[in-house]
Amino acid sequence: MTRTVAKYTRVYVDGYDLSGYTRSVGPLELSYDEADLTTLTDTVKGYLRNHAQANVGTLNAVLDDTATTGSHAVMSVAGQKRTVLVTIGMNAAPAAGDPAFAGQFLQKDYTAADEGGAVIVSIPFSGWASDAASLLHGMPWGVLVSPATARTGANSGTGIDNPSAGATVKGGYMVYQVIAGNGTATVSIDDSANNSAFSALSGATTGSINCAVVRHGVIALSTSATVRRYLRWQVALGTATTVTFALAFSRNY
Amino acid sequence: MSRTVTKWMRFALDDSAGTPREVPVDSVSPVGFVYDETDLTAYQDAVKGYLSAHPDAPIDITGPLSNDAAVSLAASAAAPALSGSYTVLAPLSAPTFTTPLGLAVMWGFDGYWATGDPVFGIVSPSATSGYICTKFQVEGEKYSARFVPFPGTTPAWGTAILT
Repeated sequence: MTRTVAKYTRVYVDGYDLSGYTRSVGPLELSYDEADLTTLTDTVKGYLRNHAQANVGTLNAVLDDTATTGSHAVMSVAGQKRTVLVTIGMNAAPAAGDPAFAGQFLQKDYTAADEGGAVIVSIPFSGWASDAASLLHGMPWGVLVSPATARTGANSGTGIDNPSAGATVKGGYMVYQVIAGNGTATVSIDDSANNSAFSALSGATTGSINCAVVRHGVIALSTSATVRRYLRWQVALGTATTVTFALAFSRNY
Repeated sequence: MSRTVTKWMRFALDDSAGTPREVPVDSVSPVGFVYDETDLTAYQDAVKGYLSAHPDAPIDITGPLSNDAAVSLAASAAAPALSGSYTVLAPLSAPTFTTPLGLAVMWGFDGYWATGDPVFGIVSPSATSGYICTKFQVEGEKYSARFVPFPGTTPAWGTAILT
């Protein structure tokens, strides 16, 4: 039986690994407005779900002035869309198949404060960004397809299972965080019905991107796309010989 | 006289394919019907008077996050068989998932729950009857989730297992 503790959570924002600066993140929220549709003849109150609220909550981090990659350098400009991936390892560092919460969220604030003598920064988010790549999915819960790892060639291995088993037919979206690299590459996702015969999941690709600088984004599939049961990461190297990326995928059910 | 403690409590619900599962919980909100009470007292009355309007029956749970594989719901008088909370609950929370769910809170009496012991919820759901999940949230290593009745649904106290 697998359970976990918060120290195995990892946080990626806009292509940067902020795990080494983060003290806590959350609550990782997916909730709905409950529309009361009770009629006179109903025995008990009844509801339907209206709009979802998907939000990262608050990122609480140490104030760190490391150039380019530190918490201050990455997050000090508030009021803008951020590509966020939070992944929760199961009693170990996150691995493929572990829970992931990902999407594009609006960073509301950035404030530094004293907390018991420590200088920390509080970074609350408002929710899903209205200028995100898609407003048609809103399912931030998915799975980690690849932990942040340096990849030097194509993936011919097996994949990860859909937590609820079977294919789904309502699309989903891929979230990528390219943390390091030395040239161009294409990061994508393959799917399979049997965990042996894989092919490219249509649309789930970054296209060729320059990985020598951090890259991040959301690639949304159509809301009627079939996603087969098993998923695996894939990379096609262009001029790059190594690319370090984390990759997640959220299905609609 | 038979009394019990929370370690004999079970929480079961349908997964996204309609298969009954049990997930780990460490708290369950008060279970049952809570009525809107309408105060109908007139000046001339000597005592306040009320009538009951519609009852509400939301269920909030919390528990440890886990991505264990889904396993079959344990039968009557058997030890609980737990599926991963993330495995079962995350798909149910998707905006596109709209199927009413079977859901059962079960109390064993100083032993594993057995047929005849109390159950609250919807144990025989349909396309128009069941619970819907309106929240799935994770903070640290714990999740929280909320369920409310689908319109027209009547949860009930009973003694049968979720099917």
